[in-house]
Amino acid sequence: MQQPTLFKHLQQTLWLSPERCLFWEEEQWLIVSDIHFGKSGHFRKAGIGIPQTVFKEDLHRLVTQIQYFKPKQVIVVGDFFHSHLNNEIKLFEKWRNDLASLPIHLVKGNHDILATDWYAANDITVHETQLVKGPFAFMHELPANETTTSEYIFTGHIHPGIHIAGLGKQSLRFPCFYFAEQYAVLPAFGRFTGLHPIRPKKKDKLFAIAEQRIVEL
Amino acid sequence: MNELQQSFGYSEIKSWLSAKGLQPFPFQEETWQYIARNVSGIVNAPTGCGKTFSVFLGALIRFINQHPTNYKHKSKNGLQLLWITPLRALAKDIGRAMEEVITELEMNWTIGIRNGDTTTAERAKQKKQLPEVLIITPESLHLFLAQKNYADAFRNLQLIAVDEWHELMGSKRGVQVELALSRIVHCQWSMQQCKPMIWGISATIGNLNDAKEVLLSSIGEDGVIVRANMKKQIIVESVLPDEIENYPWAGHLGIKLIHKVIPIIEQSKTTLIFINTRGMSERWYQELLNHAPELAGAIALHHGSIEQELRQWVEDALHTAKLKAVVCTASLDLGVDFRPVETVIQVGSPKGVSRFLQRAGRSGHSPDAVSKIYFLPTHSLELVEAAALKHAIEEELIESKEPMLLCFDVLIQYLNTLAISDGFRPDEIFAEVKSTYCYRDLLQEEWEEILKFLVEGGKALQQYDDYKKIEIIEGLYKIQSRRLAMQHRLNIGTIVSDAMLKVKMVSGGYVGVIEEYFISRLEPGDCFTLAGRNLELVQIKDMTVLVRKSTSKKTIVPSWNGGRMSLTANLGRKLRETFNEVAESGRSKRPDEHSPELLHLSSLFQLQQQLSHIPKDNELLIEHHESKDGYHLLVYPFEGRQVHEAMSAILAFRIGKLAPLTFSIAMNDYGFELLSDQPIPVDDTNAAELFTIENLTADIQRSVNATEMARRKFRDIAVIGGLITQTAPGEQKKARHLQASASLLFNVFSEYDAKNVLLRQAYQEVFDQQMEEVRLRDAFTRIGNSNIIIAVPQKFTPLCFPIIADGLNRNNLSSEKIEDRIRRMQAQLMRE
Repeated sequence: MQQPTLFKHLQQTLWLSPERCLFWEEEQWLIVSDIHFGKSGHFRKAGIGIPQTVFKEDLHRLVTQIQYFKPKQVIVVGDFFHSHLNNEIKLFEKWRNDLASLPIHLVKGNHDILATDWYAANDITVHETQLVKGPFAFMHELPANETTTSEYIFTGHIHPGIHIAGLGKQSLRFPCFYFAEQYAVLPAFGRFTGLHPIRPKKKDKLFAIAEQRIVEL
Repeated sequence: MNELQQSFGYSEIKSWLSAKGLQPFPFQEETWQYIARNVSGIVNAPTGCGKTFSVFLGALIRFINQHPTNYKHKSKNGLQLLWITPLRALAKDIGRAMEEVITELEMNWTIGIRNGDTTTAERAKQKKQLPEVLIITPESLHLFLAQKNYADAFRNLQLIAVDEWHELMGSKRGVQVELALSRIVHCQWSMQQCKPMIWGISATIGNLNDAKEVLLSSIGEDGVIVRANMKKQIIVESVLPDEIENYPWAGHLGIKLIHKVIPIIEQSKTTLIFINTRGMSERWYQELLNHAPELAGAIALHHGSIEQELRQWVEDALHTAKLKAVVCTASLDLGVDFRPVETVIQVGSPKGVSRFLQRAGRSGHSPDAVSKIYFLPTHSLELVEAAALKHAIEEELIESKEPMLLCFDVLIQYLNTLAISDGFRPDEIFAEVKSTYCYRDLLQEEWEEILKFLVEGGKALQQYDDYKKIEIIEGLYKIQSRRLAMQHRLNIGTIVSDAMLKVKMVSGGYVGVIEEYFISRLEPGDCFTLAGRNLELVQIKDMTVLVRKSTSKKTIVPSWNGGRMSLTANLGRKLRETFNEVAESGRSKRPDEHSPELLHLSSLFQLQQQLSHIPKDNELLIEHHESKDGYHLLVYPFEGRQVHEAMSAILAFRIGKLAPLTFSIAMNDYGFELLSDQPIPVDDTNAAELFTIENLTADIQRSVNATEMARRKFRDIAVIGGLITQTAPGEQKKARHLQASASLLFNVFSEYDAKNVLLRQAYQEVFDQQMEEVRLRDAFTRIGNSNIIIAVPQKFTPLCFPIIADGLNRNNLSSEKIEDRIRRMQAQLMRE
């Protein structure tokens, strides 16, 4: 794995990992968003043959990140699971059992439609709208009215991507971490997710994830 | 008298014709004769010449001869004639014509139509008792194969007719037809030990023999070609601009000539104006109204993004001569004849001889009428194309249609179709599929891979998997789930449109459809033009764009994402030959012996000759230019945009090996430009080497960004192959967790299952169609045998200007800025 990149924000120490997640050193929290576990299974159930390796590797990458950062807890900023219960999620349950001591918090996203008791059974603490800690708030989508909170907000949901135009009509798109003035958008952790182009403003900070490396733009 | 003419059926039909004062054409009698003898083949005849009757009456004669005593009363005969047509609109007309014959002959046949518009009640009726004639589209035919017990329908089938085969062949719809034919033929064979005849009906194409081979492949017969040999007289006239701009610039001249178009419209009953892109057709429609307000209500717009009902209205109005003119795109290339059309105007290059002829043929529709077509250039150099087209028409240089090979996506769809009706046994179907032209080289291992993909869904995590599609039940491959079957039924077909959103007025009323990618760049309040109306975007909601009328003068004309057409090989060659005429002008011939188009361009050619050179067909011209943008290398192979795209990339790669340079590349149908910030080391010592055919394949792979091209191809393949499902309205909400873009699927497969058959097909299609590898190779060979002429002109030449101007588009300048800049460049060059 490539080394994470240090980013100091509001006097907090954030490590941006090229595996599309973030480690908050002060709190020892691993923050991930939009994992969409079970998505390939959901497609396969509908007769669409998506290679299941994409799910296996997502799960594997998450384990690797946990082993690397050794977080006190994991925060998922929404869209942990893609849809209804399926066999892929059974594999997740097994994995959860093996890591039973690790607290996992979920701030619900629009895809998180599993039954409440399922989260309880798998020891996942669910936060309906947000989770606040120190200078930060975590919520899946930005509220319609941005000024409701005084904290700096971490969101996911849109799967941010950045367009880099080259010569001769060539252009490349990369997932990115996006830090605006009052909020940040995390890249989607799951690899079976698309990209939504964002248009940063001048003052905004942007870190593209290009070929397993973090590149500040 | 031959055998046919002695038959009872012949005399019945003949006397029916005579009673109407008609005589069969020789090609019709010839076809009847072959049908009587149970021989298959292709009828080659232009539209409007009785091609339908050649096959239909042949089938009737055969039936009468088989049942001479009771042919009039005999009913419930089961399906006799299956009539496959690519166009829904044609079905009604053909059906009507057939009904008329049946009624007048007092026969008891019924004629059925089966397409997307057929009601469920009608379908149920047809299922109970099949009509003797079924007119069907390729898609509906596959839906037919998706019904239980479909095979019974083909028990007594005598003849399968495939109308407009030249249109179907070379497309995936043609492959659908091939597969359906193989199934029907073998169904009958296994029940009755006999095979139906297959007759194709085709306009002239360059490779009619191939067309026959492809069509008849599954019955394994050579068959015959019956030619109507009716030559249509065509008059081509160019609309000449009053003043020739020696520095032409693509796309901006056309509209300027609009004042010359209005008298043409006024003079003829009805005029069709063909425009190459939907965006430009919107502009033309607007400008025509601005210049001739009196035409309001008498002109209409017809293109693929206009609401179906409105298009239907335009077509009906064309039939009844209610319209003076229709501005249209390729959307009106095909289809029923509009008799009132007297004149056709082609705006801009038609890019190919056949397309031009087809459009010309839209006017003057009775067999002996003259077709008149005006060619209106969108930049002055296109006049050379007009001259080239005239030569090509004289020599009947019609393009070939290349049949498609090994389309895995269509095969996967077809196997799912069979799996939802009665299921299939792999050994039986493999042999059938191999009997088609498209899949004759299909390998056993590819077949097994496809079956495996359908049954197992590719790479899976055994006990954690939910994949379910085709199941194997005692050797029978079947889809059991009703939901999956329904889902598949909704997705049968190979015509893939871009992601489209409906456009509706806030006050109600449907305007048309628009590409999602265009609308996603607009903000509420922005104005755009669609279906000739100025609209203001209000909001986008549930896959619908809500708009209201706008009075704003500044509207954006949507640019549709249809690929730009490229010059065909035939027209390219003719174009190069036409330049011979230009190079020799002033020498041997008197002025009046030259094409008027070329004479009109003489000042432009003089300038080209003076500054550089006019390339003959055995020469390749290369020009070096220097400007404040950098160093330009211009090459003029006249092979069409598509070939130039690959050729320029290869050349850039090869030059890059001589010196570490970065290029920006631009091209049009005539040539291409490499632009660099440093001098480009190409001279007469190394030029021939740069165009060598050696290592071509390897250099293609190293230079062309095949991944990006394959990604674009993958969208259609993913839809046809069932990876992306199109949902019925109302189902969208339920299926929202099943949405993934083709691009995302492409990434996932590339990364996690790179050997997937559909992914491989995308790359193959890039090679065959996008890069046209065969044509590219031919072009390199031709250049290898040509003299390479390298010129270093003092300033920009007429040939290079349109390419360099087009190249400005690449840089992220807004369109206004480009326009200003090109005008400044033009003015400056003219002054010098």
